[in-house]
Amino acid sequence: MSTTSTVVVDEVTRSFGRTRALDGVGFTAGQGVTGLLGPNGAGKTTLLRMMATVLAPGGGRLTLLGLDPARAEDRLAIRRRLGYLPQEPGFYRHFTAFEFVDYIAILKEMTDRRSRHDEVRRVLALAGLAEESGRKIRALSGGMRRRVGLAQALLGDPDLVILDEPTAGLDPEQRWRFRELISTIGEDRTVLMSTHQTEDVGALCTQVVVMDNGRTCFDGTPRELRELATGRVWLSEARAAGVRLSWRTGEGEHRNLGDAPPKGARLIDPTLEDGYLLLLGERALEPAA
Amino acid sequence: MTTAPGTWHLDQTLVRRYVDAVTDAVTAASVESHLLRCAGCRQAIADESADPASVARRALIWEDVVDRLDAPRVGIIERLVHRLGIGAHDARLLAATPSLQVSWLASLLLVLGFAVAAAHGRDEAGALFLLAAPLIPVAGVAAAYGPDIDPAHELGIAAPYRTSRLLLLRCVSVLVASAGLAGCAALALPAAGWSQAAWLLPALGLTLTTLALSTRLSPVVSAAAVALTWVLVVVKLVQLDRTAELAGATAQAMFLALIVAAAAVVVVRHDQFDTRSAV
Amino acid sequence: MQIHDDPRTDAELLAVVAESDRDALSVLYARHAPWLVLRLSRRCADPSVVDETVQDTFLAVWRSARKYSGQGEVAAWIWGIGVRRLIDTLRREPAATVMLTEPSRTEISAEEQVLLGVEYGDLAGALHTLSPELHAVVQATVLDGLTTREASRLLGIPAGTVKTRMMRARAALREELV
Repeated sequence: MSTTSTVVVDEVTRSFGRTRALDGVGFTAGQGVTGLLGPNGAGKTTLLRMMATVLAPGGGRLTLLGLDPARAEDRLAIRRRLGYLPQEPGFYRHFTAFEFVDYIAILKEMTDRRSRHDEVRRVLALAGLAEESGRKIRALSGGMRRRVGLAQALLGDPDLVILDEPTAGLDPEQRWRFRELISTIGEDRTVLMSTHQTEDVGALCTQVVVMDNGRTCFDGTPRELRELATGRVWLSEARAAGVRLSWRTGEGEHRNLGDAPPKGARLIDPTLEDGYLLLLGERALEPAA
Repeated sequence: MTTAPGTWHLDQTLVRRYVDAVTDAVTAASVESHLLRCAGCRQAIADESADPASVARRALIWEDVVDRLDAPRVGIIERLVHRLGIGAHDARLLAATPSLQVSWLASLLLVLGFAVAAAHGRDEAGALFLLAAPLIPVAGVAAAYGPDIDPAHELGIAAPYRTSRLLLLRCVSVLVASAGLAGCAALALPAAGWSQAAWLLPALGLTLTTLALSTRLSPVVSAAAVALTWVLVVVKLVQLDRTAELAGATAQAMFLALIVAAAAVVVVRHDQFDTRSAV
Repeated sequence: MQIHDDPRTDAELLAVVAESDRDALSVLYARHAPWLVLRLSRRCADPSVVDETVQDTFLAVWRSARKYSGQGEVAAWIWGIGVRRLIDTLRREPAATVMLTEPSRTEISAEEQVLLGVEYGDLAGALHTLSPELHAVVQATVLDGLTTREASRLLGIPAGTVKTRMMRARAALREELV
């Protein structure tokens, strides 16, 4: 049994009323950044919320840090080693950045004022917010608020960090800064990050899990995902017919993604996105179970 | 003998003697007077007291300054709560409760004020107050906790601090605060003696019922259900002109039973607050 | 903190502090904390009280930077805040307010003579003849700019005593200068 598997997901299911949000998800994750990739409605948030112990587990087996989140005592132990950034982090808008992170720090059982304040300063500095700590949250830009959210997720140096779409809605410069941060964090921790942007995965992740309709449809390295599309991406002058995707690039040619490139086609190296699209496309073509 | 200001400065020996505190009082006083006007000599003094101990001392003081600058602003409510014996960090958590903000409590006072004023003008005096007063803590509880109210609700659940404890802390504080205010307002009622205290058990009963329901539904929905029920009951009693019965032994005993039952539910199901089981 | 590097004047820094610039405050701290610590230490023998006072002073500088009138030296303004903070602290918890040095019995160097001449002119020699208690009162009221009541709190003596000693000091100085 591998000691580096911080997260073990095994045939996990979850329903809300009649909706089956998770329908058999399975993978393991360890040290480094694992990306959860998938379209909206794939069940990523549901899964992450279960991992953050915010949602009660459903069917299947979920093991976090060797513990079982369905058991109350284990839940407490997990929460002590967990950092979580929800998709829509809520803030007390009248609080300053410092005050908010301090508040969460109290919830993380840091009762000694002096050391707690030192820790708050540390995570704010990590998130690049040292100068803004005294500003009210409602006066901060969206990107800065996201960083406040990230800062609180780093309190107490957690072993498991769960980030739900941390880069959504950020402009390229902010996103780049976030990636840098996440990459540093992932160096000696387990980071689970969901996104629906393949560039994030390519830039950051050592492992990628693709989810769709509540199921895992891929679990491997970003390179393996990319290579799914090897030999299936080519350029042509005119728009190709009968292919998965064909669009006009900025250079005037057409880039095509499909199962069977025509003979003599100009094959090009696939990108991560190609692999991802191909994968989802195949899923869409599968006969209904 | 005077020298033009700005052209004369402390020499190194003098600087050292001053820093070592071996000059006489008069000389020292002169040095100090000069330092107030001369940045260069202030720098010389700083350079002379650059030994590790002094530097460390000043660094420590600066750290304290920064810490105080960063320190969360302590509001009146938080100070009050802390004074009452609640730990500093718990007081901090309470300070974020929407229904413990000064603005909320002020609007409570307004509502109570209206209820009391209305009571002075009419005959069904007690009834209006009896209707409003128990709902105050119910509203307070709804606004103390939960995904609809608390923006950091999810983060709270994911954190080790027991959510049920936070909830309890907040609800008790809200109850005490609202009941306290309502109690003061009750004293201003025209002497319909029974309504001055008759609202207390219903208040407690309704609040605990709201809490009990919150183990299953959201606090806002629970509070709304409880409030609606109460309004219907009181309105019916007013129509039948039987409001005085609420102060009677039977009614009060029923509320007592309600309190016990609701409290039991809360105790048994309190760990429901620690994980959300629905969307 | 390399304060040599910042070209701004104290007044300019203070204006920026009023805009909540913490960096500017740290420069002011680097420039003024050293002498402030020393000067306060000569009025209060308890180092922890001195430390607390310096801390309070710079917090007050932060909060009331806007109130600096622009008149006079910033250092003098800071001292005004600092000495009053010291008095407030001493009022709450009386600590040793021993004068750490005695008026001269030791030799005064030539440099010190010049300094005294610059600062006090003819008064210099006369001041030396004052006894320690009288000198302390003169320093508190004249040099530190305190009122009788503030001086009495700082020195730990009744206000009446402050007044009488001031009268005696003035008489003694007048005699010397004549």
